[in-house]
Amino acid sequence: MDSKQIVTEAETTAQDAIEVDTLVEEVSIDGMCGVY
Amino acid sequence: MNPDSAWRLHPQVSVRPEPFGALLYHFGTRKLSFLKDRTLLAIVEGLGDARDVRSACEAAGVTADQQGRYLRALDTLAESDMILEREAA
Repeated sequence: MDSKQIVTEAETTAQDAIEVDTLVEEVSIDGMCGVY
Repeated sequence: MNPDSAWRLHPQVSVRPEPFGALLYHFGTRKLSFLKDRTLLAIVEGLGDARDVRSACEAAGVTADQQGRYLRALDTLAESDMILEREAA
């Protein structure tokens, strides 16, 4: 798994992230394409 | 998050330090958590060896008035199973 790619992909879908705290932001990678 | 409770990193979670803080990946839930603070990373990494959460915060240099913010962040990580409660030492 290319973790660098995961970071990039996750950041581009930031609108899907639920910011629950300013210190922690969570993202599910389910549904992302080209990550695996 | 009770500061007197004891926690540890979930065994299925991988931690990768980053310039902004750290990236946590849970291989079971396939969730990513971005820690946007190096201090929070230090707390998370120290949880397993610390007597309790308060001790882990103190070891990471968190002052009493800063602790609430970090306890809320740990709550978030607990809700997503990134950290697990363990018996206090």
